[in-house]
Amino acid sequence: MSTEFCLDDWGLYVHIPFCQARCTYCDFNTVTHMGPDQHPQYMQAVTQQWMQATLPKGRLVSIFFGGGTPSLVDPPLIEKFLASVISRVGSLAGLEITLESNPGTVDLDRLAAFKEAGVNRLSIGAQAMQDHHLKALNRIHGVDDIYRAVDWAKSAGIENFNLDAIYGLPGHTLTQWQETLRALVSLQPDHLSLYRLQVEAGTPLADGVKRGALLLPEEDNVADMADWAAAILTPQGYQQYEISNWAQPGRESLHNQLYWTFNSYLGLGAGAHSFHANRRWWTLRGVRRYMLAQAAGDSVIEGEETLSFDEQMREYMWLGLRRRSGVAKHRFQERFDRLSDEVFAKTLEHLQGLGLIVNDARTVRLSERGWDVANYVFRYFVADGIS
Amino acid sequence: MDQQRIRNFSIIAHIDHGKSTLADRLIEHTGTLTQRQMTEQVLDSMDLERERGITIKAQAVRLDYVHQGQPVELNLIDTPGHVDFTYEVSRALQACEGALLVIDAAQGVEAQTLANLYMALEHDLAVIPVINKIDLPNADPDRVIEELVEIGLDGTEAILVSAKQGIGIEAVLNAVVERIAPPKGVPQGPLRALIFDSRFDAYKGVLVYIRVIDGSLKVGDTMRFMANNKEFQVTEIGVFRPHPTAIDQLSTGEVGYFAAAIKTVQDTRVGDTVTSVHNPAKEPLPGYRPAQPMVFSGLYPVDSQDYGRLREALEKLQLNDAALTFEPETSVALGFGFRAGFLGLLHLEVIQERLEREYGLALITTAPNVVYQVSLVKNEVLRVDNPAMMPPAGDILEIAEPVVDANIIAPSDYIGAVMELCQERRGTYKDLSYLDAKRAMIQYRLPLGEIMYDFFDQLKSRTRGYASFDYQVAGLEPADLVRMDILLNGEIVDALSVIVHRDRAYYRGKALAEKLRELIPRQLFEVPIQAAIGGRIVARETVKAMRKDVLAKCYGGDITRKRKLLEKQKEGKRRMKSVGNVEIPQEAFMAILRVGDPS
Repeated sequence: MSTEFCLDDWGLYVHIPFCQARCTYCDFNTVTHMGPDQHPQYMQAVTQQWMQATLPKGRLVSIFFGGGTPSLVDPPLIEKFLASVISRVGSLAGLEITLESNPGTVDLDRLAAFKEAGVNRLSIGAQAMQDHHLKALNRIHGVDDIYRAVDWAKSAGIENFNLDAIYGLPGHTLTQWQETLRALVSLQPDHLSLYRLQVEAGTPLADGVKRGALLLPEEDNVADMADWAAAILTPQGYQQYEISNWAQPGRESLHNQLYWTFNSYLGLGAGAHSFHANRRWWTLRGVRRYMLAQAAGDSVIEGEETLSFDEQMREYMWLGLRRRSGVAKHRFQERFDRLSDEVFAKTLEHLQGLGLIVNDARTVRLSERGWDVANYVFRYFVADGIS
Repeated sequence: MDQQRIRNFSIIAHIDHGKSTLADRLIEHTGTLTQRQMTEQVLDSMDLERERGITIKAQAVRLDYVHQGQPVELNLIDTPGHVDFTYEVSRALQACEGALLVIDAAQGVEAQTLANLYMALEHDLAVIPVINKIDLPNADPDRVIEELVEIGLDGTEAILVSAKQGIGIEAVLNAVVERIAPPKGVPQGPLRALIFDSRFDAYKGVLVYIRVIDGSLKVGDTMRFMANNKEFQVTEIGVFRPHPTAIDQLSTGEVGYFAAAIKTVQDTRVGDTVTSVHNPAKEPLPGYRPAQPMVFSGLYPVDSQDYGRLREALEKLQLNDAALTFEPETSVALGFGFRAGFLGLLHLEVIQERLEREYGLALITTAPNVVYQVSLVKNEVLRVDNPAMMPPAGDILEIAEPVVDANIIAPSDYIGAVMELCQERRGTYKDLSYLDAKRAMIQYRLPLGEIMYDFFDQLKSRTRGYASFDYQVAGLEPADLVRMDILLNGEIVDALSVIVHRDRAYYRGKALAEKLRELIPRQLFEVPIQAAIGGRIVARETVKAMRKDVLAKCYGGDITRKRKLLEKQKEGKRRMKSVGNVEIPQEAFMAILRVGDPS
């Protein structure tokens, strides 16, 4: 059902921080004040970072342009960057190459050009299928733009596409969410990412909620929304292969899964995160600072952490449990030369007793109930959760 | 100093009428401290006191003043300004011959003004009315003078003052010298000194604050505390200016301190008499009373590993707080902790805050309760200071609870509202009189347990902040009380048990269950909350099971952030107390305090 990577398969993440406007809920690393004139310099810095990077020894399987709004960057710049990738790994054949897009920033020509550049998977940020919600979120597009973007993507020959949507919006009703789900399904996406709205400190959304100007739906209503996603998507053949992600069989995002399988990934661009072996590191968040440092030949790394052996095993567990298929015991053993059943004996027994996990001969995975309260399970594996 | 040239006085006032500011001005005016040395409210030395604007411990400061060309020794004894500390105030007043009664020129006479006045008159003190804050735009000294007449004082004797602007300070000092009598007492007699406070000093041991009534005390003397017959040799004698300054001896009528390598303030109970071992007094000074906590609460460490640290912290606080009592207690729900006794709620809050702030302890404090006197069928009498320890109803003949006599002063428009509140709180009407055309004094007898929680808040909100309130403890009275237990998930959580009046049990139970439902977060499973009396369930609520608990989007592989979020959540869980399968947040144990009156 979902892909099994080789231990040393790795991915490449490229952060494109540019946006035309900032969504009310967004606390990602984005900038709205830098125009297209800045894009070449930024892509040059990204390319430079790539050329200087030490590459993991395995096989590159995925490239993901995330943002921000990667679709704002002109296709030739993406093409040029991908050429530099080819220069180091030989070929892009067989890779999943995803580009995130805002429906308000694309047209047929542009999408065709991205396809030409090598992009074979498009992620479209729909978020909602009601204009008033889109407006309230400060999205720059309407519902019509979403339909058009999907049409153009298909016309451009990008056959694999994803739609993003958010539930639990201020004033969101179950009926509206059902309407959104049905509209999304009618577009026949290969993949759907459904997120519960998170109120992040410092965002206009958080401010509105605090002031009482924005009213979030009740906890039970939001839970209903999550349950309705399953009720509508499952009959259409979608499988929830990971907590927030649904796909038609065989269309699971490779890139998304790399994060949960403890495979390496290299992050390029401002505020991008990388992981390899036992080390996580991230680059300067400030876009200008990132570009200046890169141009000056200075280090662009802002911070890093090294995971102890214990921490690695714990992370492996709770990250792996995000996938429907769970943690494959032989892979745990392969990686750590230890048995997960022994390392986490007490925790696993306890969680099984609570009915939150299924622990069979080959895998440990969340039960149906565990799926609902995944954080409850994960908390057993963070910090002093080891038994 | 010639006994005739000594004046001992204190300042008494309703809260916020400017007692501490006046004290500051007197200190400044007599040159005891230069302006540069003055920190605001010099006498309130504990941070907490300064923060809350209240005086918790008594202080004494010696002021050197020149009156009509002659030096005079003025001893200002500052008293605690809260009803929790009434006994301590009375002992401080006993050390004086006079008092400045400070009244806010805008607010007028308030409940504490009266309580303080009565107490001062009980001790035969000369009372000098001081009308403060005359600089306020809404000051109305004439009206205040009328009110003074109404409460039996000579209004023409009032001194008009603005302590803030330094107006009238000289007049106050002159009045102290002229209207307050010098101390009586027999210089040649056996030593009798009254303890009005004590403080633990890490280097000198306990500093005992005394007023010498008869005889004198000097370094090297061996003295005895008459209440417990413990003997110590005096190592240091001094006065406060306002910082401790060593001198040779304290004579009849003087106020100061001594140190004698005393290890704990428990030995130096306020109100006790100090005498000399070689020439002991026959009789102690009147009025001594052992410390008597009124309010009890369970103190439990959130982390059971901290039990030892909590004990040490309590022991340290006790070094300096004779009124704090504690003994080990075990709760099925909370594990090992202590049942601690306090003079009142403020005292409890101060201790709790100091434990958390100064000792870094995470605590669970159970809802405070009073002490009940329980007469059993088998002819025994029990003191019950923990609701969970209340015997089964069948064994009980009668329960008596502590009651207080309360004075409430409020504008006459609010008489109805005040009486309604007192009735709701099971009060017995005593008296109603008018201070002037617009203000009334309402007297009720009320159960202490009923005024402990939000009585004062309710009083303020129902009178738009115009009412003032004071009370004194008035013994025990029988009442139809029952123990109400709270069951979570079918199991009694002993730390949540409360004693309630039978007639109100149903409402209380319902309100408490509702409040707990709000305070207890959703758990993995549904949690029924029940309130029960004996075997009978009087209220039931349910905390629904948690439906979803998931992390959303992972932004660009930022696992670190996700992990930190989970760690933070886990930390939050750790602060909760796990009872059975249910995780209970700290606030829930105080839920009863947050239950609004079911009216």
